[in-house]
Amino acid sequence: MNEVEFAYRVRQALNEGADSLDYRILTRLEQARRIALARQKSAVDAPLWVPALRFAGEGGTSASDESTPAWLWLRRLGVLAPMIALAVGFVGIYRWHEDQAIAEHANMDLAVLLDDTPIDTYADKGFGVMIRNEQGL
Amino acid sequence: MATRKELGEFLASAERRAYKQAVFALRDEDNALDVVQDAMLKLSEHYSDRPAQELPPLFTRILQNSIHDFFRRQKVRSTWVTLLSAFTGGQDNDEDPLETLEAMHGTEAAESAADRAERAQIVGIIEQEIAQLPARQRQAFLLRYWEDMDVAETAATMGCSEGSVKTHCSRATHALARALQARGITL
Repeated sequence: MNEVEFAYRVRQALNEGADSLDYRILTRLEQARRIALARQKSAVDAPLWVPALRFAGEGGTSASDESTPAWLWLRRLGVLAPMIALAVGFVGIYRWHEDQAIAEHANMDLAVLLDDTPIDTYADKGFGVMIRNEQGL
Repeated sequence: MATRKELGEFLASAERRAYKQAVFALRDEDNALDVVQDAMLKLSEHYSDRPAQELPPLFTRILQNSIHDFFRRQKVRSTWVTLLSAFTGGQDNDEDPLETLEAMHGTEAAESAADRAERAQIVGIIEQEIAQLPARQRQAFLLRYWEDMDVAETAATMGCSEGSVKTHCSRATHALARALQARGITL
């Protein structure tokens, strides 16, 4: 009998021994397996994905419902809408600041023209503030 | 990435062989169970994000490392016991635990049918003789012929050359055959 054949027969005997383990051992092994599975890396479990946009009062939806095109569109909208609102807000603030600066310069021009204010007042920030305060801007 | 189901199925399929290997090495059922549980936890906590086909070699390596860790801890403990016993006048105990552990007795219970009882007895004797093999020979033999690893995988798991694996396997096979023959068992 060669080495591999002998090893094969020993392997059969080992399998028999492993298959006829004591009940106490099997129970302990099963407990160990359960503990190990309970401590499995959380990333391995099915990822918990919460849609960005949920409607109040809406019941739970299955994964298949959430993967439909309508749901995908709502998800994208839920992400994009705040970004669009933020961009519009920035543009509005920029335009408001621009209008304020134009009005301030116009007031200063008017003050210089009407009251013979020296041209150096353009360089004086305090003068601009005074004009603005006087006109209630 | 292995799913929870795949990991559970793999552990269920491997736990008995893992336990037996640990018993052969440690000669103690409770310690073997602790080592197997430790290996399962390590696999689950650190490697469960690996693909399912990578789990068997990973688990085998983790189990072997856990067995080695157990022996290291036992050796450290016995060193401290020796030191302390020198002060307390106890008996010296500086022998290698691998050499002093007793052989495991057959675990098979007698059954009613005579042939099954005889077969169970033979299995028990084979397990005893495997437990008597030198650690490296036993490890190579079990990995190669029970865990179905090829020579390269066995060498990687044991941290030795492929030539050493072949030598260990050959010596284990011959030693086992001689021992079984001496006890009147021919396979």
